[in-house]
Amino acid sequence: MANLSTRKADYPKFQELNVQILGISTNHPFSQKTFAESLQLPYPLLSDFPDLQVTRQYGGLSGHPTLAKHGIAERAFFLIDIQGIVRQQWVIQGGEDVVFSSEPLLKAAREVAGK
Amino acid sequence: MRDKHLCGWSRQGVQVWGFVALVLMSASPAAGQPTLVDLLRVLNLSAYAPGLGLPHLTGQTVTGETVSVTELRGRVVLVHFWATWCGECRPEMSLFERLHQDFAAQGLTVLGINIRDETPRIQRYAKDLGLTYPLVLDPEGVIAKAYGVIGLPTTFLVGRDGRPVALAVGPRAWGSAEARTLVQALLAEVVAQAR
Repeated sequence: MANLSTRKADYPKFQELNVQILGISTNHPFSQKTFAESLQLPYPLLSDFPDLQVTRQYGGLSGHPTLAKHGIAERAFFLIDIQGIVRQQWVIQGGEDVVFSSEPLLKAAREVAGK
Repeated sequence: MRDKHLCGWSRQGVQVWGFVALVLMSASPAAGQPTLVDLLRVLNLSAYAPGLGLPHLTGQTVTGETVSVTELRGRVVLVHFWATWCGECRPEMSLFERLHQDFAAQGLTVLGINIRDETPRIQRYAKDLGLTYPLVLDPEGVIAKAYGVIGLPTTFLVGRDGRPVALAVGPRAWGSAEARTLVQALLAEVVAQAR
């Protein structure tokens, strides 16, 4: 939740770089809508429930067997360029309390964008 | 970051978010009668897209009865999440009681989902406010998690056909004429379908 809010706070910086943020989770779309309304996020949240296809394709399912069994994904970031090529990825280690700064994401986006 | 009107109920781990993709983009009713969309807009309610299912909800009420939202199909259901410590929730409780009193016989069910309060505390609260509609216990926040609730009050409206109609995060004017018109419009849906 704090990570989503961090990206909300830094959203203008991503906009300046012409970066579209998409939040993806394995949660049910119904609960996701509540969540998005609650946080008033400026970017869309996409649901990968129930098949978890995107999560699996990105290798985003939790490495912990029990968590993976329950369809829980790792918290990770993927930077995709305009050709659809994944240019960089970050997998966040630690619990929910760990907030990943936007700076590495913005730095990588600047490099990809040549700015 | 949460809505300023929301009580701060949240718990780390309630929602587990997967990953975020960052994509570099290449470029930038009848006349005089308010429609459902109009009413939702006036009340600042967020509408659901068609086809979205409602999470299953089963729980015990404070009086020991079992409530299942799927068994309420055929009725309009107003589900609101609340807690005794939630200051923004308290004024709404009497408004929901009024709706319950006025429309239950016509097919409205109001369900108050209490998050993490102890039963005696809920009972005292209900007695103080004169609440008679079902108050469902959610001591572990399981129902709240299924519905994605991270702040209170949060309210959902469900049509007679079981479809989620609208969502409100934060307090709304549930005592207003528009709210009553909205409830009546939803109650009328089944009449139209039954003919």
